[in-house]
Order: sequence, then C-alpha cells, then structure tokens
Amino acid sequence: MTYGTITGISGPVIDVRFDGDMPAINQALTVELEGRTLTMEVEQHIGGNTVRCVLMDSSNGLCRGMKATPMGHGIRVPVGGVTLGRMFNVLGEPIDGLGDVPEGSEFWEIHRKPPKFSDQRPSAEVLETGIKVIDLMEPYPKGGKIGLFGGAGVGKTVLIQELIHNVAMEHGGYSVFTGVGERSREGNDLWNELHQSGVADKTAMVFGQMNESPGVRMRAALSGLTMAEYFRDATHKDVLLFIDNIFRFAQAGSEVSTLLGRMPSAVGYQPTLADEMGAMQERITSTRSGSVTSVQAVYVPADDLTDPAPATTFSHLDATTVLSRKIAEQGIYPAVDPLASSSRILEPNVIGDEHYRVARGVQETLQKYSELQDIIAILGMDELSNEDKKTIARARRMQRFLSQPMHVAEKFSGIHGVFVPIAETLKGFGEILSGGADSYPEAAFFNAGTLDDVVKKAKELGGA
Amino acid sequence: MNKRIPEGKAYIYGENKPGNELWAWLAAYVKKNYGDIEPEFIPEPGMGPGFRLCCGGDTLSWTPRDLLDQLNSRIADISPNGGSVIPLIRDAVKNWIPDIYAKESGVVLSAGDGIAKLSGLSRARYGEILLFEGGIRGMVQEIRENSISCILFGDYELVREGSEVMRTGKTAGVPVGEGLLGRVVDGLGSPIDGKGDIESSGYFPLERPAPGIIERQPVNTPLETGILAIDSMFPIGRGQRELIIGDRQTGKTSIAMDAILNQKGKNVVCIYVAIGQKASSVAQSVELLRKGGAMEYTIVVCAGAGDSASMQYAAPYAGCAMGEYFMEKGRDVLIVYDDLSKHAVAYRTVSLLLGRSPGREAYPGDVFYLHSRLLERSARLSSGLGGGSMTALPIVETLAGDVSAYIPTNIISITDGQIFLESGLFFAGQRPAVNIGLSVSRVGGAAQSQAMKQAVGSLRLSLAQYKEMEIFTQFSSDLDQSTKEQLEYGRSLMEILRQKRSSPFSLWQQVVLLLSAEGHIFEKLPCKEISSFRQYLLSGFAACSDITDRLQSGAALTDELRRDVLDKAQALLAAYTAGGAS
Repeated sequence: MTYGTITGISGPVIDVRFDGDMPAINQALTVELEGRTLTMEVEQHIGGNTVRCVLMDSSNGLCRGMKATPMGHGIRVPVGGVTLGRMFNVLGEPIDGLGDVPEGSEFWEIHRKPPKFSDQRPSAEVLETGIKVIDLMEPYPKGGKIGLFGGAGVGKTVLIQELIHNVAMEHGGYSVFTGVGERSREGNDLWNELHQSGVADKTAMVFGQMNESPGVRMRAALSGLTMAEYFRDATHKDVLLFIDNIFRFAQAGSEVSTLLGRMPSAVGYQPTLADEMGAMQERITSTRSGSVTSVQAVYVPADDLTDPAPATTFSHLDATTVLSRKIAEQGIYPAVDPLASSSRILEPNVIGDEHYRVARGVQETLQKYSELQDIIAILGMDELSNEDKKTIARARRMQRFLSQPMHVAEKFSGIHGVFVPIAETLKGFGEILSGGADSYPEAAFFNAGTLDDVVKKAKELGGA
Repeated sequence: MNKRIPEGKAYIYGENKPGNELWAWLAAYVKKNYGDIEPEFIPEPGMGPGFRLCCGGDTLSWTPRDLLDQLNSRIADISPNGGSVIPLIRDAVKNWIPDIYAKESGVVLSAGDGIAKLSGLSRARYGEILLFEGGIRGMVQEIRENSISCILFGDYELVREGSEVMRTGKTAGVPVGEGLLGRVVDGLGSPIDGKGDIESSGYFPLERPAPGIIERQPVNTPLETGILAIDSMFPIGRGQRELIIGDRQTGKTSIAMDAILNQKGKNVVCIYVAIGQKASSVAQSVELLRKGGAMEYTIVVCAGAGDSASMQYAAPYAGCAMGEYFMEKGRDVLIVYDDLSKHAVAYRTVSLLLGRSPGREAYPGDVFYLHSRLLERSARLSSGLGGGSMTALPIVETLAGDVSAYIPTNIISITDGQIFLESGLFFAGQRPAVNIGLSVSRVGGAAQSQAMKQAVGSLRLSLAQYKEMEIFTQFSSDLDQSTKEQLEYGRSLMEILRQKRSSPFSLWQQVVLLLSAEGHIFEKLPCKEISSFRQYLLSGFAACSDITDRLQSGAALTDELRRDVLDKAQALLAAYTAGGAS
C-alpha cells in the first residue's frame, strides 16, 4: 500500500504528495486524526507528484507530514432497500443512531455517467400536487424536473415539505430526500414528520447541512442522487427525488474553487459552474427503465435571479415555480409569482383545452392588473374605466384565491391545510374569470381551498 | 539571533563554546535525533550564560531565561481544586527537574496588516495558536509546503521579520465557565473590565461541530421577550435563531437588550457579543444591563471597532463556545451577535489579506459558511443530551432598508425567521418599528403557549392585509363600509403594538390586550386615546387575580374565560369613556 504525505493545507483544500502510484481524480483518501478517520476526494493532479484534494470535514488539527491512505475507489454510498427509513451523511454513513447498514449491502460510487441519449424518456403527463397555483399555472410533469426558486425566507422549504406531504405520501413509491446546505433543524423536523406520517420506511435521506464543510455540501447532492439512480436503474422503480437546496451545491463549489487554484469567474463563482451543474443535472432524468421526478429548491442569492448559479439551473428544468418576496409581504402563501413561473407542459395537447384557457386567462388578467398598478399609483382608482375596474376586482380575487392553507404550516398558523384537486381549481378560477364570483368579497378568497369554501366564507363575512 | 537554519545543519549558540565533554554530548544528541549532522558553534555575544541548539526547526535551550519559563509553565499548570495553592506551588518547585526539551520554533518571513508568514514549525496544526515575541498570538490559517500564514491577534506592529515564533499545541479557544458571568471579555476571553482574572472551568475551542440532526429536538418552549409585537406574531422559541434586521438607528439593539433584561429570574444565561462597535456604545449597553440587574447572568464579549479584524472575526465564535458550555450542562442560553454585518466585513478584510479571491460585493466565497457554521451551533439539544438550548439573536444592519442585499439574504437563509425594523415606521412613532409583512418566525409558533396562540389568531395576516389595503385605498375617496372597518381595525391594532423601551408585558397582559383587540374594544376610541386606555385596562385587570392567574398559566383559553375577559374589558371601556366624559 502506498501512502501519501500531506504537504499543504488551505481551508478544506489539502495537498498530498505520493512517491509511488498516484490516486486518480475522484478517488478517495483517508487521514487518521485523533482517533477519527477523515475522508477527502482527489480533485486535481497539480504536478510534482502531488494531488490536490477537498476534505469532507474540518481541517482543524491537520499538519504537514500526516499520512493519507488511498481507498482505491471513490466515495461510495449504500444503495437499495437498506437505505429506506435511514438517514445518511455524504459518505453513506448512517447518522440516525440506528447502527451500521447490514454487512454485504451493495455500495455505488457517487460519481457516475448520465444515462445515454438513447435511454431518455420524455415526459408528458401531469402530476397533481393539490396546490392550486402550481396545478393551474405551472403544472408539474411526471418524471420531470421541477425547480422552486426563491430568495431567503419566502417559503421554499415549506413548499417543498408541502409537496412531500401531498405527493410523496400519495405516491406510494420510493422517495429520496437530500438536504444540501440547509438547516439541521429542518432535517430534524423532517425526520420526525416522516416517522409520524408513516412514510419513513419508503424514504431514504441524505444530509450535508450548512454547518458542514464545503466538501460535504459539494458532494451530498451526488450521494442522494446515487441512491435514487439505483432505484431507477437496478430495480426499475419510479422515484421521487427532493433536493433542498441545489444552489448550495454550486455555492460549495465556489467556496473551494479559488483554493483549488482556479481563477474566479463572474460574481466570484467557479469557472466550471456550468459543467458541474450540467454533469449533475443530466443524471437526474427519466429513462426507459424507470423514472425520477425531481423537485429541487433553488436559493436565489440577494433576490437576484440573474445570479450565475440560479441562472445556470433554469435551463435544466421542465417546470419552474418562482417565489416572490413582494407576494409573501402581502401574506399570500405559497408566495408564488404566477407571471414569472412556467412549465413546459402548459400546452393544450397535454393539459387539455379547458385548463389551458383558464390558465392563460388568469395570466392575462394578472398581467393587465400589474400594468394598471402604475396608473393607479398616479391617478387613483377613481379615474379608471369600468372595464378596468372590473379587471382589477377579478385580478385581486385571483391573487387571493391563489393562496391556500398548507398542511405543514398547520402547527404555526393553526389553519388546517387543504388538498385541492385540479378539477376544483379549474372550476374556481373559471368562475372568477367569467365574472361569476364578482359578488363575493375579496377577503373571502384569502386562504380558501375550493370555490365552495369561498362561498361559505362569504356567508360568514356577510353575517358578521 | 534566530535565523533560518538550512537543512542538514545544526548550530549551537552561546557566549562561549561549551566544554569538550558537553560538546561531545551535544554532538551525540544531534546525531541521535537529527541524523548525521556535525553541529557548528556560533558565538552570540550578550546572550548571557547557557547555550541554545537549533536544528531542523527545533530549538533546545539551556539558558536561565528558558529554564525559568519552564518553571513558570509548570506553576501555571497547577489547578487549585478547592484547597490552598501555596503547598501545591511548593511541591511543584521542589519536585521540578529541569529538562532539555525541544521547542519547535519558526521565523517570521514577512508581516503586516495583521497577517504573518513564517517558516519552520513543520508540525504546526491547522487552526493552532502560535506565540510570537512580545506575547502576540496568531492562528494558523494556511499551511504551504515551505511556509505558514497566520492571522495575528493584538498589537501586530510588534511582530518583526526574523523574530521567533513558538507553537502552543493548543487550537484557538476560550476559557469557559460560570466565572465569566457578569464579566466583559475580549474576543479571546481575556477580561477587559478591570475586575481581575477570571476563574475558568475549562477551555473550549472556537470552532466546534454543531449538534447533528439526531442530537436535536424541535423547538417547543417559548423564550419571552416581553415585547408584544414579537411575542404575539413572531414568537421566539428556545433554541431558535431569529434575525433582527434593519437600518441603523431603528432600535435593533434595543430589542436585543430588552430580550436580555426580560430573562431576569428565568434561569437563562445571556451572552452579548459586540462586534466592531465603538467602545462607548458597548459601555453604555453594559451599564444598562447592570442597572437592570441583568449583568449577573450575562457575559459580554467585546471586539470593538479599535480591535484588529482578526479579533472581530473570532469574537462571535468565542461567545458561542462560552454559550455551549452552559447549553451542554442542560441550561438555556440566549446569545446576541451585534452585529454580523460588521463580522462579515472583518472576515472580508482577513480573507482578502490572505490573498483569497473576492466574489459578490468583494466578500469571499465562503462568507455564507462563516455564518452558517456559527448559527447552526445554536440548537435545542435532545433530552438525551440534557435538553439544553442556545437561542441566537443575530443582528444585521441594512443599507437604505435593502433586505435583499447579499449579507442580509445570506443570514436570512440561515436563521429561523427575521424581525425587520423599518426606519419609516420608527420615525412615524411606531416603535418597535417591526415591518409585519417582511418579518416572520418559522418555528416559534410551535413554542407559543396555548393561550397566546389562541389569542393571536390570525393577527399577522390581518395586519399584512391591512397594510396592503391601506396602500391600495390611499387614493380612493369612496370606501365601502367593510373596507373602512377593516382599516379602522388595522389602525387600532398598530396602535396597541406600540411599546416603550424596557417596559415588558407579561403573558397575561399580552393575552388581555390581544383578546380585547380581537373583541374590537379599542376601535371605539380615537387613536390618541388608545395608549392611555391600554394603561387603564391593564391596571384594571391587575386587580382581578382570578382572571390573570388563569391567563398567566398559559393553558388553553376556555370560552368562559374568553367571555370573562371580554366582559371585564367592556366594563372598563364603559368606565373609561364615562370618566373621560365627566
């Protein structure tokens, strides 16, 4: 066995020199430090028999001259049935306190090739989420890739948890949840939630949260993805893959990029941003053997959608849901911006003519309202034509009707969550669009589920 | 005196060459430990008695000064466990045998701007504290094949090229323990309040791993701030991280201070970390805490505007380590970081000086990780680990109310909610100047008492809708009755939420106010009367201990209790208006 010797340390980036055979790129090395085994991954050969690695841990306590042992393979994670109901770290080690995975379990390396072009399977079927604004304005395709974009604190995580609640619990198949660079507390909440609702034994979880070193956050998404790929490729299942948050993957890459000796690109990101993102995103896809429906939260730094990381992610997705701070500020949750969100399958031949007509109608009305808002700000409401006033009244009802109480927010808001079937959603918005709901007060539409709920609320308000 | 020793050489320094016998012994020692090297003698006039052997980055010293240092460190190791120290010192001196030990040393290659680059110290560890001449400390930040870069704490002007550097074998850390309570310390835990040494119960490294996912439990116990707007709509639970954000002079620190003052008698340890603030403001805050009787359960960590960037960088981690000591003992801790925007700036300074390339707004790429690893250490530990908690109230200053700037959004994405203070509201007299639409608490709701939760109802959503309605209708002349009522209700709610500094409301007071507001009691009064009626209402209720006791218990509100409160409030309103008329 050949050992390497540590020659340099700069944050999570470690240089190791080998006298004999050098480990290949993406291979793993281990270092012993005070009774613990630290793992790192080779990123570059930098000349002089030296490899440059990223450490999956804190560098504190390491020094020059320590021995690094090549593992002979890349980082590997357990796959298959043993992962269900369990929680892992980036290295595939259980972190749920329930003991090791059974001996003889199958392990896959986390770096893999994307499926071949000939194996791709395009998707054109709607996945019902029970969330009005999503089902109506940006329907999610089954087996497709979905992105939830939003700045800090506008409700990405709540929405992704609501989707887990509505979709994963109905779905019946396997799910993989990957927490990348988010709060550990949320991991704890989710773990408890899944156990209470009884779907934990159909779910595998991988966490590399925000308290962990960049190396961990850079690779945790791949560890989770590998487990999902196994279900797709080896057991031919339909899998749901949740990733919260894919932006942290790009961010972690930028944290180590300059330490790896690369020149910074736009806004300080790594020059390899698009390649790294592409290599990972192309693996999340449905093939002829099985499907992966993925929901990825994408953090938008400084509320700037043109930031390189979210901008690079956009092109990989089939449906995008954009959350907006302006809408959250009005108390409308989920704070989806219906005009900025989109879906590839919002077409009559996929979703049907009626759905298409209602969705586009709602879009037009809201667009008209946002244009009129400038005029209102200058001239006031009284100066508008009756036609415009009617448009505004309907648009404001639509805005409010796009909100709905969520199951996962129940313990904070005290309001019971609702699941609205697509047919009900279409009926409700169809009615507002045609003017049939003009008589109900605006407030009745706020946080209501179906149109029947609105009618009921309107009666209560009228009575008060 | 200390020059870099070329490889394969050993030098012996001294005023006079050692005698033959000693020389032979030294040569043998070098051969045994460093290989086949013949030592050379270098005369060093003015060194005094003794000699010094330098080889391969090590220094073996046999001078009176170094021997005294050895004795000193031995005495420093004595831990006074209860009994008297004198006999321990006597024993230590009596049993001491001087020893030649290899002291690893390095030489400063370059220094400036609080950063030093050095050679030697081949076994120095990443994150270790190094000792420079003059007692200056530095922390290893980068290890290269032939050099080490470190950041310096303290008067870095004293570090010169060519001066000596020693290892300490310790990673950067701070003293922790009960002895710190009531004290003001710097970013590395040394006292700066002139009250003498601090007796510590341990030494915690600055950087410690945050509790893992399974080591936590959900936040379920409230941490009351006594501020109605916060406890009702943006409640904070023990173990939560709630950001306080706003422009300068909008009352951010006041909220944090009130929260600390309100913990009196609730067995919560408070830590106030001041980063990059002027010393006089910190002194003022300390005075406020002392007057309020809060210092006895509070530690103040101060890395002021005059301290080095590296000291400001270390201070929050130091405060956090001090808090972890109590958290791990099962206690509840409240820590305030005031403020993290200055911390980010200090880290940017250090990072750019270390030659790391800048990203957005010239902050380094890992500025998110800087704060995420700090704030993740605040948690509610599982009951198996003692069930302690650390609640964090980080403060961030925005520029011109821009919450969507880089550092604010970074920290918002780490914390479990934010309280956004707006200068517009502040100057309009709405204090605390909480922007209701943009503030949120993600977990605190689960920690609210049943009574509070029921009393609050959907207050936040009503107010958010009121705000939107207010803007929408500001140019409209003819409003329908229901809209007018909604506006009137909203206005009275805003009035009730006004609260002076350092005048906390207890739980029953808050519930009474919320229930009365929900029962539309306040709307019947003109706006400027509301505050005096609020006072009247509360003093009226204070006499009814049967109601207040039931409310204070926090148990779920029964319909009967609700009715009792409303009836009483109605009666008080009638009495108030009658009194006002007479």
